[in-house]
Amino acid sequence: MTVTPIQQPLIQLNGVTKTLKGQGEPRPILSGVDLTVRAGESVAILGRSGSGKSTLLSLIGLFDRPDGGQYLLHGADITRVPERRAARLRSQEFGFVFQRFFLLKHLTAAQNVAMALVNGQGWLARRKRRARVLAALEQVGIAHLAKHRPARLSGGEQQRVAIARALVRQPRILLADEPTGALDTETGALVIDVLHAATDRGCGLILVTHDHAHANRMGRVVRLRDGLLVPDRAGVAV
Amino acid sequence: MALTGRLRSAVVIGGQGIRARKLRTFLSMISLFLGVLAIVAVQASSVLANRALLADIEMNEGKDGTVVVGVPPGTESVSAVLDLVTGHPGAVATTSTGAIIGEPGLTPVNPGGVPLRYADQGGPAMKMVCDGRGNCYSEVSDDKPPPRGNAVELLVVGVTGDIRQFRPFQLEAGSWLDFGGQPSMSPRLVLNREAAEAFTRYQLPAEMTIGGSGSQPSPGSPHPTPRVVGAVHDGSSQPTAYVRADELLRWLPETSNAAQSMGILMTPQASASITPALRAKLGPELAGQIYTHTVDSRERIGGQLDMMKWIFYGMAALVLLIGVAGILNVGLATVGERVEEFALRRAVGTPRLLLAGIVLAETLIIGLLTAAAAIAVGVVGLEAAGQVFGANRPTLQNVEFPWEAGVAGVAAGLVAGVLGGLFPAIRAARIPIATVMRA
Ligand SMILES: Nc1ncnc2c1ncn2[C@@H]1O[C@H](COP(=O)(O)OP(=O)(O)O)[C@@H](O)[C@H]1O
Ligand SMILES: [Mg+2]
Repeated sequence: MTVTPIQQPLIQLNGVTKTLKGQGEPRPILSGVDLTVRAGESVAILGRSGSGKSTLLSLIGLFDRPDGGQYLLHGADITRVPERRAARLRSQEFGFVFQRFFLLKHLTAAQNVAMALVNGQGWLARRKRRARVLAALEQVGIAHLAKHRPARLSGGEQQRVAIARALVRQPRILLADEPTGALDTETGALVIDVLHAATDRGCGLILVTHDHAHANRMGRVVRLRDGLLVPDRAGVAV
Repeated sequence: MALTGRLRSAVVIGGQGIRARKLRTFLSMISLFLGVLAIVAVQASSVLANRALLADIEMNEGKDGTVVVGVPPGTESVSAVLDLVTGHPGAVATTSTGAIIGEPGLTPVNPGGVPLRYADQGGPAMKMVCDGRGNCYSEVSDDKPPPRGNAVELLVVGVTGDIRQFRPFQLEAGSWLDFGGQPSMSPRLVLNREAAEAFTRYQLPAEMTIGGSGSQPSPGSPHPTPRVVGAVHDGSSQPTAYVRADELLRWLPETSNAAQSMGILMTPQASASITPALRAKLGPELAGQIYTHTVDSRERIGGQLDMMKWIFYGMAALVLLIGVAGILNVGLATVGERVEEFALRRAVGTPRLLLAGIVLAETLIIGLLTAAAAIAVGVVGLEAAGQVFGANRPTLQNVEFPWEAGVAGVAAGLVAGVLGGLFPAIRAARIPIATVMRA
């Protein structure tokens, strides 16, 4: 095992807890999650349905805040970051991919990707925006489909548009919540390829999946069980 | 920089939203249109009615700020007033008396100088009486009337100068009185509409008996032959003729001065010098009977139309409210439909306030576009009304669309936009981002 130089973790979760209160009793979902992700690292999160994987991603992606514990981004404590700053961090630091693609059907592929650039956080002139969008579409291999609307794209192509949308701002961390859940095995593998390629450029990747084959392509595999993250393979640290 | 980024993003996002839902935007506008149009129409008609009323009052009494002085009748008063006022640029004296034009020795068709629509209606004998405030009116007369005939009784108003600076008459034919040069031996008359109507309706010989029907035509009553030089609209329904005061006085017997009513219209500046001088000339007893007031019609009629205006405004607001309910309904449905889009936009970093602002801006734009449409319809409608009804309703002729109605329309559009957009905007801001993970 080679010793890599000490590197500031991209994100670091220490004993993060979250209780959700739905219609019934408040239910503790996360009861002390520890997780560290560094640049270029990829982590797969496995776990039963309803175990809290999406809840965990929503805390990491600053959709929501933890009840307890500590969340550091580049070493800075953002456990209780206010919403205005959280919005800016979501824009600058994170890219999101979901099980459903959430493309706006009245916009073209390129416009859907540009949506992440037209978000009130800074402004790029049209030409720069177009260049960025095309580069992102290129990166996922569908630049030729830029003018197509979602209705004319296959599932795999639509998910790749969604990934381009996640990549277009060159995020530090990609968060993917079951991105292959709605795709066949072959297409799913292609999507995982595209996501994995992002880590080559130093992007961190957290992939929630049910597919062991996809999980095993990540650098690390962890499992969410009883509100805690535990190593899935012997000898691999969380 | 941050601000322009937000603004530009908002424009792009809002534009995409509207373009994606053109039909819905259009339907919202339709639901709002009648309400905004109602507001525009109420405001426009209230302004126009006010203006028309004010214009009538200005012609009848004088423009706001005009000082009106009533002088007690009498030979002394007449000469004092004429002395002070004649030739003064800021003051015009009027002396009113009754006169009958037509065959002498007959009762006129409108005894007492009543409006022609009451002519030939019989009833008690009337005579014209003028009071010390310069007002002349008809009164039942006890005298035995001569037979009715081809004659019309007029109010004759002698003026010392151009009275139109205070009472803006509209010249309708011929010319206005010429105050230059010597007084003519045959009095030159300018008729008002009602008097002109009398001349076209009855074949009147051009013979005038000054003094009115009330006083039995005495053998000494003058019979000048007048010349009609023009016609004006003076807002009065009483047949009236205007004449140079000096031409009128030439024909008036000294003895009839007592029956005359005198008035002065002047600017406040002129009044400052003329009124005290007049009091001094008349002496304490007559000065005590001088009556002075300043015209303030605008304030006085302000209240008159308010009641109606507010009733109509209430009804218009109700129609507008129905429109707002429509736009609100559409807005809420749209936000419900866009839950995922908004959650996703927030996930990619769009601030919630910006999204709420965009939702609000979309309805505001709908409100403003609707207002523009309603104002356009109002302008065209007014134009059309002028073309169609203008012939018999001069108040509708060449009327410009009042800017107040435009302002009211824009305000109504904005209010409707805010009311219709606020709840959808708040709802949009409350959508949790995690929605995108639970679908
Ligand atoms: N808004 C919510 N309020 C209450 N409970 C919730 C809410 N969202 C999710 N849950 C519950 O939290 C648990 C974890 O959900 P989730 O994180 O989506 O699980 P996973 O992604 O692992 O399937 C589930 O039991 C779910 O029913
Ligand atoms: Mg999930």
